[in-house]
Amino acid sequence: MNYPAWETGFFSGGSLIALISVLHVYIAHFAVGGGMFIWLTDRKALLEGCAALDDYLREHNWFFLLLTMVFGGVSGVGIWFIIGLVSPAATSSLIHTFVFAWGVEWTFFLGEIIALLIYHYYFDTMKRHLRLKVAFLYFVFAWMSLLVVNGILSYMLTPGAWPESRAFWDGFLNPGFIPSTVFRSFVAFMFAGLFGFVTAVRMEEGEFRTRMMRYCTKWLLYPMTGLVLSGAWYLYAVPGEIRYTAFIINPEMDPYVRTVVIASILIFAGGLALSLRSGRAAQKAITAVLVLIGLSWMGGFEYVREISRKPYIIGGYMYSTSILVQDEERLNREGVLPNARWAKVRALTPDNIMEAGRELYRIQCYPCHTAGGVRNDIIPRTRSFTYLGMLSQLTGQGTVKPYMPRFVGTRAEKEALAAYIVSGLNGGALDARPEPTAVRPLADAAPPPFDPKNDDYVLLAWNDLGMHCVSDGDPWFVILPPANTLEALLIKRGSTPEVVTENVTISYAVEPGFERPSRHTRFWEFAGATFGKKPAPDTGLTGKGLAGDFTHNAETMSFVADGIPVLPYTDAGTFNPYPLFTVKAKDPSSGKVLATTRTVAPVSTEMGCRNCHGGPWRWKNISGIADDTARDILRKHDRARGTDLLARAEKGKPRLCQTCHADPALKAPGDGKRLSLSASVHGLHANYIPVKGADACGLCHPTHRTGATRCARGVHSSAGITCVNCHGGMGDHAISLLRAEEGKRSAASLTKHLRPEAVRAKTDIKPRKPWINEPDCLTCHVDFNKPAADPSAFNVWTAEAAELYRNRTDNTGSLRCVACHNSPHAEYPARNPYNARRDNIQPLQYGKMPYTIGANRSCEVCHREKKEDEVHHENMLRMVRRAVRQ
Amino acid sequence: MDALSLVPAADAIPAPWWLFEALLITALSAHFILINIVVGGSILAIGSRIASKRPRTVTFEVPGITSALALGINFGVAPLLFAQVLYGHLLYTSSILMAVWWILVIPVLIIAYYGAYVHTGGGGETLRAAALAVSVIALVYIAFIFVNNMTLMLHPRSWTAYFENRSGTILNLSDPTLIPRYIHFMVASVAVAGLYGALRAHRSGQAESGSAVRKGLRIFAFATIIQIAGGLWFLLSLPAETMRLFLGGNSLYTLVLALGVILTVASISFALRGRVIPATASLAAIVVLMVINRANLRSAFLGEFFRPADLRLEPQYGVMALFLLAVVGMACAVRRMIAMLPVSGEGRDGR
Repeated sequence: MNYPAWETGFFSGGSLIALISVLHVYIAHFAVGGGMFIWLTDRKALLEGCAALDDYLREHNWFFLLLTMVFGGVSGVGIWFIIGLVSPAATSSLIHTFVFAWGVEWTFFLGEIIALLIYHYYFDTMKRHLRLKVAFLYFVFAWMSLLVVNGILSYMLTPGAWPESRAFWDGFLNPGFIPSTVFRSFVAFMFAGLFGFVTAVRMEEGEFRTRMMRYCTKWLLYPMTGLVLSGAWYLYAVPGEIRYTAFIINPEMDPYVRTVVIASILIFAGGLALSLRSGRAAQKAITAVLVLIGLSWMGGFEYVREISRKPYIIGGYMYSTSILVQDEERLNREGVLPNARWAKVRALTPDNIMEAGRELYRIQCYPCHTAGGVRNDIIPRTRSFTYLGMLSQLTGQGTVKPYMPRFVGTRAEKEALAAYIVSGLNGGALDARPEPTAVRPLADAAPPPFDPKNDDYVLLAWNDLGMHCVSDGDPWFVILPPANTLEALLIKRGSTPEVVTENVTISYAVEPGFERPSRHTRFWEFAGATFGKKPAPDTGLTGKGLAGDFTHNAETMSFVADGIPVLPYTDAGTFNPYPLFTVKAKDPSSGKVLATTRTVAPVSTEMGCRNCHGGPWRWKNISGIADDTARDILRKHDRARGTDLLARAEKGKPRLCQTCHADPALKAPGDGKRLSLSASVHGLHANYIPVKGADACGLCHPTHRTGATRCARGVHSSAGITCVNCHGGMGDHAISLLRAEEGKRSAASLTKHLRPEAVRAKTDIKPRKPWINEPDCLTCHVDFNKPAADPSAFNVWTAEAAELYRNRTDNTGSLRCVACHNSPHAEYPARNPYNARRDNIQPLQYGKMPYTIGANRSCEVCHREKKEDEVHHENMLRMVRRAVRQ
Repeated sequence: MDALSLVPAADAIPAPWWLFEALLITALSAHFILINIVVGGSILAIGSRIASKRPRTVTFEVPGITSALALGINFGVAPLLFAQVLYGHLLYTSSILMAVWWILVIPVLIIAYYGAYVHTGGGGETLRAAALAVSVIALVYIAFIFVNNMTLMLHPRSWTAYFENRSGTILNLSDPTLIPRYIHFMVASVAVAGLYGALRAHRSGQAESGSAVRKGLRIFAFATIIQIAGGLWFLLSLPAETMRLFLGGNSLYTLVLALGVILTVASISFALRGRVIPATASLAAIVVLMVINRANLRSAFLGEFFRPADLRLEPQYGVMALFLLAVVGMACAVRRMIAMLPVSGEGRDGR
């Protein structure tokens, strides 16, 4: 922003720095180690009186001078040149902070040159002992040069106290300085041996050459122990947080670490090979290869060091984008463009969004990325994003994955940059997500008849959760299989009604058009891979089909039919997430039907991953996870977490997410190491989603008010209560889950950048386990009363599953709350988006009103008479205040 | 667009600005002398090959050209460092605008350097002449790029070209001072190299050196006469108000220029009269005066929008003292090393 950006096109600026720097550093380390090599070899020649060694030295010196002084020296200046071109702000900071250190280094550079020139040109005419002194001085000057440069270089990664104190010595004598200097010294000695081969191999065949080769091997291999030990010292001098980000979180690091390890092994092997007696041709070939391997070792190591420093160019002070840490807050307020001297667009208007986006790209993305060039090409990394996805990426950038800097700028600038990357760079469209979907109304479903005078039974049936989501993307992964749960309760009517638990068969059957879900999904094809089970098509994992019997469960005090594999796809090709089930209670001995009712088994495949991850809807452009979407999800998971999910899926072996991630919903224990599925997904995405309130929930869950499902349809939603009132906003929701996982590896990094909304501090949010510790109705409905205005049930959790609304009973202990009030998210009087009355069949059947069973003192539904006592729960004998238009 | 708004903010400096300016001028003077020997010497060497009546007769060769280049590069690093401290915000900008040309200086310099080694090596005459030619072309390129950068950095009004060309291929060709300035530097290098040749021949004390001394002095004198004309051209190419500063408008600027011109005339006189040492002494003084002159010109151009004196000071006196100590220390070490040289002073390859 302070400086213009040089557009290098195909090669990133970073690649150019790498090219010049790695070559320089490779040769410069040789220059330092070679200094000691020359000095000790000259001493050896003197002590042994060996003329052949003198000859060797003469040739070696020439090679040494030509390589290190010419190429090594000028390439060092080249580093200066290129960093000033690619990162002028950082270069300026280094120069102005450390000019006197550079000045000291310059004096050593001068001393090196003069010493080497003297040593080389007066080799044969100088007095021997003086010549040795000059050789020794050369080494001292060369090593001091390394020392000084390394002080500055190491400060960039481990600045120590410098970002706060800005004191020269805090920066120079930083925590990484001594360990890295020792490490590089060992590198230098090893390279002295490596390059020593180049001249040794040119010697005439014979005993002397073998001796020289073995001599060089010793130089190459002896320092290796020191290298490894000082390498470990260096590694642990780097703060743990930096190491974690660099080596665990950053996916870029692996190939370079591998390069260093493999190159080390090859160098070791090569050195040993060269110590063997063999022909000159073979040894020349091995030497040539070894020199190249040495270069890749150096390159690998320097890349490891450079990558470790991200997102900074100067740790804790300046980001790779040249934006200062201390300016971040101000720039977020004022905007980057008004502060960017060299931006063509200084003020963002509706007319210059793409232009502004381009300038922001130049400032914040260009320093590390190319667009269609070599290294870090941003096009494949962003091609799959929708506009919302790109906005999310920019929102979460630098939080969970701190190796990138955070986006800096106003919200409008972020939108401009997202628009530029999606449309300008990738040619994508800037559609709104989620796309509004029309809901095609369904015809009324008439409630079955009920004769209040003569009928003996009231049959109640309901779905347990209010919505069952199914991740319809089976070739790639499964989050939730088709597995709906219905429960039923049969009440024998009377003054004291009886809950019937035996001698009755209760059965269920789905409405026509839904009987063959296997026609519409590939779940059954992959159930073996994902669940390790192979149920017959249209049969669920529990063995239950689309028609069958309930089983009585004494614990839940109800009849349960779970694992019903109903899907929202009809044979007619329409989407209906509220299929009706007819429930019949029969006397098993006579076959007589005691009672009939109908209930909705809500099911949706509207998982909105594509809102950010791109791709179409899988099924008739309405719902389901498409192949492209799923691939993008797995690709990102693999890249972020080092998994191989995409490759496995492509081989026909998709996984169930809960194989690794614990989830009480599927009774999955997970692998013990990773976060629960809910904590992972919410924790990660809360850092990214740029939308607040219930709309954030609706991006993924089938609750969005313009989506195909709109499953928040109970009395609460009619009253204007949203997900947030009970569950908290996305950030708070994520924090509550992550707090229960404290101590696990990624919990800290996911929580770090989340900010609490409903409470003051993150530690004020009570930890909770998903599906177990949930909002409690009585938090707002104190004593079952009407709640206060703007109620919030957030942060007060049920202690255990038995306390959940859907599991609780009334004060008699025999009636489940949900039986009369209906499933969570669809509490009576519900308002189903496909047909207002569809979720209210039982109240309409038994009470001719859409309200809670027995509402408005209609006790006679079950009791055959009015009652005076509030037996079921306090304050139940009230008239319904909220009339809902049906 | 207000070009001055493009000038980046400058960072604080760790010692008073005049210290850096003094170091810059000192180091740059040393750099110019050394590089002039190399560049001018190479030009003369190739010129003499072209002009020689008898084929394959070399009539002018600069001794120790590779070592001079080594030291010249080293003494180029120092002024580059100090220039970045005081003028970095300008220099980085102009460098970026001409990034491709600027970064090519590095491989081109390596080529020039190796060319010099091939030229002074043991190969055949054709190879050595070809290597010399390559070196000369490379050095001439480098000088041209430097002159472009050092002038572009002073003229933010030219920086708006960036908005039409962000690929780093801008040059400062529209600046009327560019060519006269460049020629002035190139002819200077020939003059310095000629005198250096004369000095080396004079100090070798050999019997046959007399003609070499005379030749060197003649080249120096002739080139310096051309320099006076070139200098005048340079002066006239300046914008009117800037030129006036050097012709009485600013007493310091005028004094330095006048002294330089007077010494120039004196040096020509010494040279034509065969007085090597006085010619050398006056040339050394001329170089320093001209570097100060150059700095004054820089100040004149920058005057309206930047003065180093305005830079914020965040002192590092302790480290500064360490640096000065290191300079003195290294000077002593270098003296000690030179004292170790064999008495005859003649090393391998005539260094």
